[in-house]
Amino acid sequence: MAFFSSGSRALVEILTGLQSVERPMPVDHTLFEFGSIRYHLQASITDSENIYLSISTPSLSYEASPSSGLPEITLQETRKMYHKFAEIIEPAKEGYTLTLRLNFSGLTRPKDRTKAINQISLLQSVILSSQLKDMLASLGSSGTMKLVYNQRDPFFVSKTPVKISAIFPMRFRDDTDLAIASSFFQELQDLGSTSSSRAPRCSWSPIPPPELRGEYVHHLTTNGGFVSFDILARHVKGRRAARTAWILLNFQSYVKYHIKCTRSYIQSRMRKRLEIMTEVIDDAKFRGNDESRKKLQVRKRSKRRSIKFARAKKLQKGFKAVIDKIKRLRLRIRVKGLDRFRRHCQCFPVLKLTMAQRKEQKYQKLE
Amino acid sequence: MRLFVALANTLRLYLTCIRNTLEAAMCLQFNLRVCLLYLQNFPCQEVERHNKPEVELKTSPELLLNPVLICRNEAEKCLIETSINSIRISMKVKQADELENILAKKFLRFLSMRAEAFQVLRRKPVQGYDISFLITNYHCEDMHKHKLIDFIVQFMEDIDKEISELKLSVNTRGRLVATEFLKQFI
Repeated sequence: MAFFSSGSRALVEILTGLQSVERPMPVDHTLFEFGSIRYHLQASITDSENIYLSISTPSLSYEASPSSGLPEITLQETRKMYHKFAEIIEPAKEGYTLTLRLNFSGLTRPKDRTKAINQISLLQSVILSSQLKDMLASLGSSGTMKLVYNQRDPFFVSKTPVKISAIFPMRFRDDTDLAIASSFFQELQDLGSTSSSRAPRCSWSPIPPPELRGEYVHHLTTNGGFVSFDILARHVKGRRAARTAWILLNFQSYVKYHIKCTRSYIQSRMRKRLEIMTEVIDDAKFRGNDESRKKLQVRKRSKRRSIKFARAKKLQKGFKAVIDKIKRLRLRIRVKGLDRFRRHCQCFPVLKLTMAQRKEQKYQKLE
Repeated sequence: MRLFVALANTLRLYLTCIRNTLEAAMCLQFNLRVCLLYLQNFPCQEVERHNKPEVELKTSPELLLNPVLICRNEAEKCLIETSINSIRISMKVKQADELENILAKKFLRFLSMRAEAFQVLRRKPVQGYDISFLITNYHCEDMHKHKLIDFIVQFMEDIDKEISELKLSVNTRGRLVATEFLKQFI
């Protein structure tokens, strides 16, 4: 099922390729991921050891951080995570929020380099989670904030001293999507509320939860209800924070992907069933369908052949006798001594006439 | 288990009733008391050189038989309308909840859009029903009548089965996906 990896595969591929080449080569790539995250990778032949990676991520909330730059906490987190092989360049490249200079020359072992590349691919999730942390810190002990990760689907984060609630207003374009999603939410709620695991508690309600009181009506108008996750301290402890933030940010995409897959599954099942049903109506025809007719013909032919072979063996025995009989039938009837009698008596001479002679004689058939 | 058996039995009775009615309507049982009418080539009485299914036009009431409505419950019913040269069978498929309703609608629309594959399927169902069939005398000439009836009955069984299975698999998928989603937090 859907698994939105927090690491960028494209970044991993390009950086691994750069590390494995024998001769340094110039690189200038611009990549887009999830529609709104933009990367820029640059490396030159003259300065082959340094690779410049710039990233541009949308601000999760324009209300909380109106400036285009990243908050200080994000920069600190980035420095802390990548201090072994990366350095933040200030100011960042124009049009990007953060630029890093990567230098893997300090890492001698290939294993370490691979690990470092994988860490670099998680840059966007690090930035987003630290942004989220910053916003939650700015909320104080309690409050609610609207976050916009996907432009079309904003969601809310509500903070209380005990927990953080992520509330997703769900909107779907048609009834089929809604029905599939409802089934999914029901299961999610059942599992989230009953399971004694460490997963966050999940609830789904058609009406907005009390945390969203005072929000604009158009933000609270949904057809799929509100799904909320209660995030406790254990879910955001240490490295889990980035992962949890990433999962929550991609929840709506996850649901949409599930709907898309289920729709295609339903479609394929319906096609299969159609084939089965049409076979029945084809069989109802007098002549039957072509395939079954062909099969029948093949069966009949094989049957005929077997019968023929059996008969042939029986006939083989008396074959000569049969041929002799035919020959006898075709031969004129001979009466012993008749020729001699003809020659002696000349009593009934028979004229032998050709067709032309017959026509000349003009024989007429007697009535 | 008992409930399941009881449900299966009621379904069997319902389908048997439909089968018998269809057999009578298509004149398979050669009983003079039952079938005074059988599907035959019958030109239109109103318009010259026209040969239309009378059950659709309903221009001459003397050519129509009384329609038969067979109900399993309020949500599941089957209307069999017979005329001199055609039969129209309309069905309402059970839709217990929103998901079943959506799946039934989707599946029946899918089939209606491919009506040419079935020959006897109507592109648009009769009002108040989910799917309709139109069997004319030409269909009866081209096909075995008993197999045609088998097809109608099997079609009803298959639709019920398919919708139930689809619902079950959508729910199962939902549960699996939900489990996988929550696993990510752990």
